[in-house]
Amino acid sequence: MIWKIAFRNLVKNGRRSVTTALAIGVGGLAALLLGGFVTSIWYGVQTSMIQDQGNLQIYRNGYLEFGAANPEDYTIPDWSAAIALIKADEALARDITVITPRIDLAGIAGNAATGNSKTFIGQGVVAADLDRMRQWDGWGIGQPGTPTGLPADPAADKVVVGLGMARMLGVCEALAVPDCKDAPDAGAGREADPAAAEYTDLVAGDAELAGLTEQGTGLPQLNLMAATTEGVPNIIRVEIAAARAQAVRALDNAFVMLPFDQARALVFDGSPEATAIMIQLTSPDRAEAVKTRIQGLLTDAGMDLSAYHFTEVDPTFTRIFGMFAFIFAVVSAVLALVIVFTIFNTVSMTVVERVKEIGTIRAMGFRRGFVGRLFLAESALTGLFGAALALAMGIGLSRMINAAGVQWTPPSNATPLTVQLMVLENPVFALSVALFLIVIAVAAAIWPTFRASRLNIVESLQRG
Amino acid sequence: MNQHTEPANFEDRNIPLDAPHPLAAQFEAITKEYTLDKVKVRALGGISGAIVQGATTFITGPSGSGKSTFLNILGLVDRPTSGALSLFGEDVTRLSDAAAADFRSRNIGFIFQSFNLIPVLSLRENVEFPLLRHRMSARARRDRAAAYLEAVGLGGMMDRRPGEISGGQRQRVAVARALATEPRLIVADEPTANLDSRTSREIVALLARMQAEFDTTVVICTHETQLIPPQSPVIEIIDGRLA
Ligand SMILES: Nc1ncnc2c1ncn2[C@@H]1O[C@H](COP(=O)(O)OP(=O)(O)O)[C@@H](O)[C@H]1O
Ligand SMILES: [Mg+2]
Repeated sequence: MIWKIAFRNLVKNGRRSVTTALAIGVGGLAALLLGGFVTSIWYGVQTSMIQDQGNLQIYRNGYLEFGAANPEDYTIPDWSAAIALIKADEALARDITVITPRIDLAGIAGNAATGNSKTFIGQGVVAADLDRMRQWDGWGIGQPGTPTGLPADPAADKVVVGLGMARMLGVCEALAVPDCKDAPDAGAGREADPAAAEYTDLVAGDAELAGLTEQGTGLPQLNLMAATTEGVPNIIRVEIAAARAQAVRALDNAFVMLPFDQARALVFDGSPEATAIMIQLTSPDRAEAVKTRIQGLLTDAGMDLSAYHFTEVDPTFTRIFGMFAFIFAVVSAVLALVIVFTIFNTVSMTVVERVKEIGTIRAMGFRRGFVGRLFLAESALTGLFGAALALAMGIGLSRMINAAGVQWTPPSNATPLTVQLMVLENPVFALSVALFLIVIAVAAAIWPTFRASRLNIVESLQRG
Repeated sequence: MNQHTEPANFEDRNIPLDAPHPLAAQFEAITKEYTLDKVKVRALGGISGAIVQGATTFITGPSGSGKSTFLNILGLVDRPTSGALSLFGEDVTRLSDAAAADFRSRNIGFIFQSFNLIPVLSLRENVEFPLLRHRMSARARRDRAAAYLEAVGLGGMMDRRPGEISGGQRQRVAVARALATEPRLIVADEPTANLDSRTSREIVALLARMQAEFDTTVVICTHETQLIPPQSPVIEIIDGRLA
């Protein structure tokens, strides 16, 4: 009967009920759309990072803390032994899709033709493995990773550079990169940079390099100079196969991705060292379990290595998601406040209109709590309708927005993605929003309802 | 009235035939003061007396004399400032809000001047409503409500809403609602003030008939003395005191 009365009163005050439910619905809609966006970021950014770095990474103990200062002291001594150890474990076989070494390096890169040079930040990767990693779409969000652009052969002498790097080296035109213009002075040799000057000297004095003959592929030639772990300057000559934008400008301006064996020859002089081992899993849900298992294997084997989740290595995801979660929280709080005021107002109005009814019900022998339940039921129903409205509108509008193909570039990406709001794809979230709407609808009604239930009976009955 | 809806607590009442005047209410030096803008208004100045069971008692007096105040105290929706009240032998002067509500739900039915039906409920649902407070099956509630609506002559329009019927009919519904819980006492505050004189007489007659048929006690408060049937017990209040 309580629900019947509540429902019929809502129908009776149709306009007010619709307005209140709409306020709840629109508030919920905003939360759902924003949440759908945050959800898509959660999946999208993680997918990008898993495509790029794998779910787990193995480093020499201490690398994350101290490796930046002297990376040569924190390399994995024998990456192939570690990979062999992990691959030999049957329990892990099902979980691991790709396991591949990586060498991080830095040095000076110079355009062999123009003499243009600048510092570079490099990654030596097994292109075939990394290209396989970039196809990962374990959450089925349809976000394709861009291929590395490196040849599959790990010993190939082709590299890929960042777009900014290409611009500064003056190879945009040679590579025919769209939206890339060579720096105005890229053609003229520059001597201002002391490192560049040093490089020029080195190139001039390096007998081995001098012996390298110009190859006839027509691709821009690049000299990469770095110090080996022994501190000896070393230099290789490669060809720039492509330029690819990188997400972070500072990296884009210095980025060189080179085949694993080239990087190895440049900095490790052929020794079996690597900076990191990247491990990609079939399912991200298994990351913690696999990490524990791998850590156990490494420790048991006496290897001075640690396994990390990619979020431990690179805080980007945590920061991006944290930022959006914060925005979501603030927006939700504001929305909740608006909804609370609306409902408070509606319930107060309803109570005032029905004071005499309250007096009558109390006179008939109902306790205060019953009056409370009567009005709370009404508010709960309003919340329910509002939540249903929010879900319906949220699903409809998110479909429309998704179909519209709006593009945006998440902070972790170099290339734009199509905005895909994930509303129903995150049912726990969608239902939580709906439930939250009902809860605040009831909570906002508590105070006016409490006052209603404590009205003086005689005075209520005297009201006209 | 069929067997099914026969009022259940006839036996409970069990009024001994040799008791000359079993009392529904006894009240002793009842006073009531209201504080309006820091000014004390004395609505009742000490009323003592009793109301007999199994009759229709009228409370009369001019407007503002304190009739409603007294009836509210009698119906346990208000408390006297001082004095003592017992209903059916039970001292009810100092009941808590919840205990008073429980007592009302079991023992007291209310009829109001402006009917006070719940507009969103059908006539039958209105009569069922106070039964929600009682341990009854939904089915029994429905049947009970139907029976009392039948008794007040509205069996044919149970599914209508209060807004769709006349004032006299509404007050009949209110009578059925007050009867439905089978209370020992029904209090009616100016039940005819919003009705024309013919309907007023009909309602008073209905109340008297129901009082007899269901063997309850009715107290009607009215300033229209012409409505009071001869030989009825009457309590007259003037300026907060018994006349
Ligand atoms: N809630 C109230 N607050 C203040 N004064 C009241 C209140 N109710 C009634 N009174 C006063 O008490 C007196 C008696 O009122 P009432 O019992 O309603 O008289 P009657 O029912 O005989 O017309 C009047 O003077 C009235 O103004
Ligand atoms: Mg009155």
